[in-house]
Amino acid sequence: MINVALPKGRLGEKVYALLASVGYQCEEYSPDSRKLIFSDKRGEVNYFWVKPTDVAVYVELGAADVGVCGKDILDEYEPDIYELADLKLGKCAMCVAAKRDWHDVSGAPLRVATKFPHTAEKFYAEIGRDIEIIKLNGSIELAPVLGISDVIVDIVETGTTLRENDLKVFQQISKISARLICNKSSYKFKYSQVCALREKLKGVLKDD
Amino acid sequence: MKNFRREENVTEELISLYESRGFTRYKPGCFEEYALYQQNKDFLIGKNVITFSGLGGKLLAMRPDVTLSLIRHTEPNAVNAEKYYYVEKVYRQAAGSNEFKEINQTGVEIIGNIDKVCEVEISSLICDTLSAVSDGYILDISHMEFIEGLLECFGPYGGAMRDFLGRKDIHDFYALAERQSFDERLINCFVTAAEINGEAEKALKIAESIVLNDRMAKAVKELKDVCGYLEKAGYGSKININFSIANNADYYNGIIFNGYIEGVAHRVLSGGRYDKLLDKLGKRGGAIGFALYLGEIERYFVSGYPEIDYLVLYDDKTQEIALDKAFELKKSGSVRLARRVPEGICCKNIIDLTKEAAI
Repeated sequence: MINVALPKGRLGEKVYALLASVGYQCEEYSPDSRKLIFSDKRGEVNYFWVKPTDVAVYVELGAADVGVCGKDILDEYEPDIYELADLKLGKCAMCVAAKRDWHDVSGAPLRVATKFPHTAEKFYAEIGRDIEIIKLNGSIELAPVLGISDVIVDIVETGTTLRENDLKVFQQISKISARLICNKSSYKFKYSQVCALREKLKGVLKDD
Repeated sequence: MKNFRREENVTEELISLYESRGFTRYKPGCFEEYALYQQNKDFLIGKNVITFSGLGGKLLAMRPDVTLSLIRHTEPNAVNAEKYYYVEKVYRQAAGSNEFKEINQTGVEIIGNIDKVCEVEISSLICDTLSAVSDGYILDISHMEFIEGLLECFGPYGGAMRDFLGRKDIHDFYALAERQSFDERLINCFVTAAEINGEAEKALKIAESIVLNDRMAKAVKELKDVCGYLEKAGYGSKININFSIANNADYYNGIIFNGYIEGVAHRVLSGGRYDKLLDKLGKRGGAIGFALYLGEIERYFVSGYPEIDYLVLYDDKTQEIALDKAFELKKSGSVRLARRVPEGICCKNIIDLTKEAAI
């Protein structure tokens, strides 16, 4: 039996469809169901639907053997897990963005609004820039527009929200995509099951 | 997990194991000067330490680790090796928690002239230690010189490579390798090293085929020696070679270990050769040891209800009779006196003195 944590939403549904296509399907599964756990009758796989930001927690604590998690979450929380494959799904980028006419005045600490404080601190520490973090939980684009921050550090997919709010990308910090992650203990005790799932998933991704 | 009623039962078994091998118990005090931990923060599992001012004004700390105290208070023998074990409480963040905890920790250290015998002795003692907790265990073995020898080939990218190796993150490694146009052989060696996971003989043959320098070659030879003995001693099926173990290179310099138990999400044991720590503390010689984080796996132990032979129930009128009854019953078994049946207790016989017929 292998336990899989899937992120609720489109990405999780896409990953489930891929896993089902290579033999990990569950008769109980329905995208409209509110059930959070479903298993197959043969007892080979258990799925959990969890909040995308919590997938790494479930895997690190061993409730799930493997899970699918965005690279942004892995960079932010640095969970103690193995990162076994880049699923090349949910592609986007972690970027620094600001108002179109913004210019960095290096004399003062840079005010950075973000949902990803650790990622922002790490990035600016590497380039030696003094910053002040403003931790927000949503609508990050609003912060420079209303003047509470100079820049934002956030995920940019198409850039539409930025454009519509008169912002633009100034720097790309890293590329983001969904990753297959694995609990370190499960990697040892369920090695053949974990590797079989990874290889089957990688195979179908190549064909995708 | 074996069917232990309590964590204390495991500790008793481990104490008798270590004493049967001639190890001496080390009992440090609860406090240590904070400077010892501040100067060696990277050696500690958690970076946070509970501090307070001593009466003389010195900044003291509640001990987050035992090894540092042991090294500080020991003068290594140039010819022989001193052998210690400890069963102590340490004060640090527990795995998966955001608060300080008092954690029971058991460990073994050999300090002084460390040779092959000491390395094999520690490795087999780790297997026996894990086996005392559960038959379902795996011991991950790696070697710092193999890892450092590999990483030095990547020059300024060694730090990034260390992260990739620790996470078995091949895909991000490939992306960097493509951007930096790394040599094809170097790429293959790194990917092979990151994917090695398995029984010693086969894994070390693969490791031998990707050796790039003397450091890596020496490490493979040492691992072959130790694992060869472990195989002969019957531990072969429990040994797993894995170069993704990440111990701090400023302290560790040889063979390193991580122990896992089936059903426990995180490692329960870690250790290795740490001559560099002795050097940092101004001592000569070598050291090797390990710690078992017993306190962090206590919730996995089977905690059956405590069982007593007689439960004597009494009320205000029957207090004296209850005391006499208990005194009499003590001769034939365990007795608990209570006003009503307590929760969480399993009792074979209930004598209810509150009912007249029982008196």
